[in-house]
Order: sequence, then C-alpha cells, then structure tokens
Amino acid sequence: MKEKTKYIVISIISFVLFLVIWDLVSKSGLISAKKLPAPSKLFETFIYKIFNKNPDGNTLGIHILTSLKEALIGFFFGIVIGVPLGISMAWFKKFDKFFSPLFDLIKPIPPVGWVPIMITFFGIGIMSKVSVIFIASFIPAVINSYSGIKQTRDVHKWVAQTFGASDRQVLFTVAIPSAGPMIFTGARVALNGSWVSLVAAELIASTKGLGYMIQTARLVGRIDVVFVGVLVIGVFGAIMMEALSLLERRFVKGGRRS
Amino acid sequence: MTKTLFSKDSRETWFYGIMGLLVFLLVWQAACIFTDFGRIFPTPGVSLSAFFHAFIEPIGRYTLLGHISISLRRVLIGYTLSSISGIIIGLLMGYSKLAHAIIYPIFSIIRPIPGIAWIPLAILWIGIGEPTIHFIIFMGGFSQMVMNTMDGAQHIDMELVGVAKVLGAKESQIFRKIVLPSSIPYIFTGLQTSLSTSWMAVLAAEMITAREGAGWLIIAGMQTGKIENNVIGMISIGAVGLVLATLLRNSERRLCRWSVRSR
Amino acid sequence: MNREKVLVTDLTKSFGDLLVLDKISFNVAEGEFLVIVGPTGCGKTTFLNSLTKILDIDSGSILLDGVDVDPGKQNLAYILQEYSALPWLNVEQNIAYGLKIKGFNKELVAERVEEAISMVNLEKYRNYYPSELSASMLQRVVIARAFATKPDLLLMDEPYGQLDLNLKYKLEDELLSLWQKTGTTVIFITHNIEEAVYLSDRILVMTNKPTQVKTELINGLPRPRNVASKDFVDLRNQVTDLIKWW
Repeated sequence: MKEKTKYIVISIISFVLFLVIWDLVSKSGLISAKKLPAPSKLFETFIYKIFNKNPDGNTLGIHILTSLKEALIGFFFGIVIGVPLGISMAWFKKFDKFFSPLFDLIKPIPPVGWVPIMITFFGIGIMSKVSVIFIASFIPAVINSYSGIKQTRDVHKWVAQTFGASDRQVLFTVAIPSAGPMIFTGARVALNGSWVSLVAAELIASTKGLGYMIQTARLVGRIDVVFVGVLVIGVFGAIMMEALSLLERRFVKGGRRS
Repeated sequence: MTKTLFSKDSRETWFYGIMGLLVFLLVWQAACIFTDFGRIFPTPGVSLSAFFHAFIEPIGRYTLLGHISISLRRVLIGYTLSSISGIIIGLLMGYSKLAHAIIYPIFSIIRPIPGIAWIPLAILWIGIGEPTIHFIIFMGGFSQMVMNTMDGAQHIDMELVGVAKVLGAKESQIFRKIVLPSSIPYIFTGLQTSLSTSWMAVLAAEMITAREGAGWLIIAGMQTGKIENNVIGMISIGAVGLVLATLLRNSERRLCRWSVRSR
Repeated sequence: MNREKVLVTDLTKSFGDLLVLDKISFNVAEGEFLVIVGPTGCGKTTFLNSLTKILDIDSGSILLDGVDVDPGKQNLAYILQEYSALPWLNVEQNIAYGLKIKGFNKELVAERVEEAISMVNLEKYRNYYPSELSASMLQRVVIARAFATKPDLLLMDEPYGQLDLNLKYKLEDELLSLWQKTGTTVIFITHNIEEAVYLSDRILVMTNKPTQVKTELINGLPRPRNVASKDFVDLRNQVTDLIKWW
C-alpha cells in the first residue's frame, strides 16, 4: 500500500471510530444524552429543523439565510469602504496623518465590544448586527490594504515611472495590483471576524439567525438543536472562506507573493 | 527623538493627527447637542469624567480596575490552557504524519466553529460559572494555536533534518533541536492572533453569562440605560487589547531575534 | 561621431548631509553604447534614478535630445538589477505594460508585443506568470518590455548581476544584437570590468562617493569581441587599474 493511501485509510478509520465511540458513549448512557446526543440523533434533529419551526420559531433555512444576509451585507460594506480607505491612507500622506490616530483609537476595540452600543442605537433589528459586522470587517480591511500598498516594491514603481506613468497610473497599475494578495488576506480576516461577531451579536440580542437559534435552544434545554446549530455555524463559516479563496484565485494572478 | 520632534514632517504628523481627533470630538459633541443622538449618548466630556470616576466608584460590584482584572484573569487561564494544548497538538500533527492522519479529521469539525458559538453548549455542559468562561476562551484560541503551530512544524528545513540524521541525531533530538525552534516564529504568530480572539471571547462570554468583568460592564451599561458605562467599557477594553498586543509583540522581538518573520 | 543624444551637466545630488553625486558631466551620442563602471556603492542607483527623474536633483541639468529629460514625454526604459517583472502580469502583459502606460492603441500594442516576444524567444511562455519562470527568462521579459517601447534611451543597472556566467554571456550577446538591430542609445552600469569592455563603445570610470567622473575611455575593439584576445585583456587591465580604489 502506498504511504499516502495508508494515511487516508487511517484518517477514515479514525473518523469512523470517533463517531462510533461518540454514539456508544451517548447511547449507553455513560454520558447522558441530555449532555451529549448521539450523532444519529443529531442527524435526525438536523432533518427535523429543516422543516420544523420548534423550538425557536423559525426553520433552519430561515436562520441560515438571516445570518448569511446580515454577515454578508456588513462584510460587503466593510470591504467596500475599508479597502479604498486603507489604500488612500497608504498613498496620500495627509490622509494618513488625519485618519491614523482616529483609526488607532478604534482598532484595538474587539468588534463584539460594539454590540451593546449598536443595539442601543439601532435596536435589535438587522441594522445593529450589520453595523457590528461592518466594524469587524472594516478594520482588517483597512489595516491589510494599507500595509499591502506600503509594501509595494520600489523597483516596480520605478519601472512605471520611467515609462512615464503618472502618480495615478503608478497607483492603479502597480501599487494596487501588488497589494492584491494582502487585500485578500484582509478580506479573509474580515470574513472570519464578521462571522464570529455575527454569532456573538445574535447570541446577545436578536429574534432570528443561527446565534439566536442556539441561544433559544439552550434556554429550553434542547441540546440537540444547539449542537446542530453550532455545527451549521462551523460549516457555513468554512463554506464562505472557501468561496473567498476561489475569488482570490480568480482575481489575484501570478501566485502569492511574500 | 528630540531632533525629529520638531522637524517639518513630524510637525505635520502632529498637526493632522490632532486635527483628526478634534474633528472627531467636535462631531461627537455637536451630535449630542443638536440631534437625538444626545438623548441616548453622553457627550465626550461626560464620558471622560465618568471614565475617571469609574476608577474610584464601583460600577456594580467592582471598580473599573476590578472589572478589568477579573476579565484579565479569565483570559489568562483560558489562554494559557489553549496555548499549551494547541502547541502540543499542533506540533504532533505537524511533525508526525500518523498523528495528523488520526487527529486532523476530527479537528477539522471543530476548527471552523467560532469560540463564541460554544457559549450555549458550554452553559448546558458546565453550567454558569468561571469554568464555562474559561472553556469559551479556550475554544476561542485553541484552533488558531493548533493551525499556526502545525504550519510551523510542517515548514521545517528537511535538509537540516537530513544533516542531523546523518550526524546520528535521535528523533527526540531532532524534535528538540530543529522542529521546535523553527516552529517558534509560527507559534508566536499563533499566540498573537489567539490572544486577540481570546480577549474577544471573554467579552462575549461575560456579556452573556457573567455579573462582572469588562464585558459585563458594557452590556450592563446598555441594559440599565447608562451609556456612559458602555463608553467607559469600550475605552478600557480597547486600551487593554492594545497593551496585550504590544506586550506580546515586544516579547516576540526579544525571544526570536534571529527569525526573519519578526520584524 | 553621431549627433549628441544625452547631455548631462554638473549633475549634483545629496541626501541630507551626504553628497552622493558631485558635478557629474558627460554626453552620449545617438546609438552609442555607454558603459559606466565604478566601485560598488558608488551611488549608481541614485545616478540612474536621477537620470529618470524618479529622484529630484539638486542642481545641474540632464538634456535628452536637447530638452530637459521627462519620462512623461520622452521614451525611456529602465532595466534594473533586481527582477522587475511585475508578478501579477503574465509575460505578454508584462511586455505590453510600457506600451499601455504610454497610451498606444491596441493594434500597435499587440504588434509591438509580438515583435518583442519573438526577439527574446519567449513565444511559448506568453501566458506564464513571473513566479513560473527562470531567472534568465525573467530578465528576458524585462528586456523585451524595454525594447517594445522602442526607447530613445535605455538605462540598464547591472541587469545581469545575479545570473550565472553562462547565462550572462548568452544574454549579453542577445542584448548586443538587439542594440545593433534597433540602434537604441544605451547607458549601462556595471561593476564587472570584463562586461564593460565586452559591451561598450565607450567606458566612463567613476570615483567612490561623492561620485565624480574620473576618466573616460574609447573602446574601439572590433565586434564581435574575443575576451581572450590581447587587445581585450590590455583594455580590461587598463580599466582595472583605473578603478582600483583600495
């Protein structure tokens, strides 16, 4: 057997064994099913939640859509405003000097910290969540596009300047493309931060969404629904990251640069 | 420093920086006076005086410093546990292909789940109390720690390992002398990102399940309508976050001066 | 001698208290291959960046075709020691880059790119990205990018400094044949004396910082040159003696 196949087989055995032990532990009552529902039970609950609104008032699909909508809207605006701001700060000195101290002030505040203030302003509707997620993605978007532009290599600028490129041309044909990978790193951090703060915001105050679903399920003691919710949160987080990587491969040519 | 303080460039830096902050404060003040914003939100002056008062007068059961040190203690416990176990599992999976094959499939279920999402489960499992908060912080930092360490242990210079083997080094020696040191810069990156997520996790956990701590402070501000407490809380968590990040960056600089990754 | 292409008069540049270029004056004739040699660290990058107006000079003048040099209006191209192919563009796009900056229309860009890409034999690699190319191919991309714009003046800063010897000889010959074909005026900076003697019509020897022109030598050796011939060795030794700064 080839080495690679060997490890794949080990992986599969390990994973199956994990599920079997989990199932046994739960069904034998070693750990009460109230604390650790069996995998088969979770699958049942998952199917059940797709069609049923209990115990939290909405089907799983509605929760997923709500969360995705809030996360993606906030993320979108964070990127659309953060990236140009980061680029401008890196390119125009006065911009940098004006915004940097302000930005340094809000940068270290974790996005979750904004949840209460946003709820006070906007209530528990979609706006409060979107604005927290906006902040969560805006900050890494600014930081990364800023340092991406700052790391533009001089020789690349010189090439453009010698060909007679204007400042604007140097920015658009050299600095921005060369910052591409860093900008995407920023987007990745932003997306991750968006998802985390969304869950936090929904846990704290909301009426719909995956975070709300697991919080409500917790209050009524439906641990199976909590489990399903947590796993779904993980899966959709991973799917969004994967989608972003696909976008990056589509837009950033020539491979990652250091 | 004194020489550059008065140079033209640094005068400009100060000028624009102070202008920026002033504009921010003025907009804040104006919004409080002229719009409805002022009905829910304190002016900069009120916020600032509340901030200094909070050092002496307790909010809830503790003063501001009390809340912060409670949060810090929680972070310290959860973070230390997640760092140690994350480094061990990361090194194992990075160095041994067998361990990777066994652990990774199971780990990859946990990995994309944000630490904060564990809050309801943790409450059901452990109940409300300190261990739950520690667990949430643990889950917040753990995956990042594992991923970064694993990355480091996988990026070792195989030539170096080859040379060591030719010279008759034992597995344990290779691990201690090559794998561990070359993973350290990656471990530090992990320590940094995981510290900031831990700090975020403690806030979220405190907002949901605690009666004290910086997270509680800001949520209580919202619930009791005392928004100035909210503002105080944000200023302090920002400041603490900044101090933590700076401390860690400095210690990295000191400990891995040889590494190219630490600038 | 041909018409005067470049005239540099009293070029002076300092960074703070550090005087780097000290009243440098020289000229270059149209179609001439001028090589500038000097000790390492003699401020050659500063020198070239001043010629291309990337850096502002303190005093003196640089005239190209009788007017102040201006990359926005005149056709300059710069080939650097470091790999300067733009990593996010493939070979074709890299070669087209200068032409696009200069605002040529699409047909002309396509035509020039084809011409340049075949000059350096990279037809097969047109869709490759720099990260997928070898060192010599990268340097060829950069050379093709420069020649595609048919520059009035081509500036080269130790373009082959990082290549191994075989490749270096090969690319030097390629460069010479391109130069002879196109009649471009070249200013080539190096600290490799053999390279200077092999390539040049004329050699300008510079001093250590603050850099001045020490002397110039006309190189009348017939092309193609034989590095082992007596005349070649004599000239090489002569330059070596001039450049000794130790």
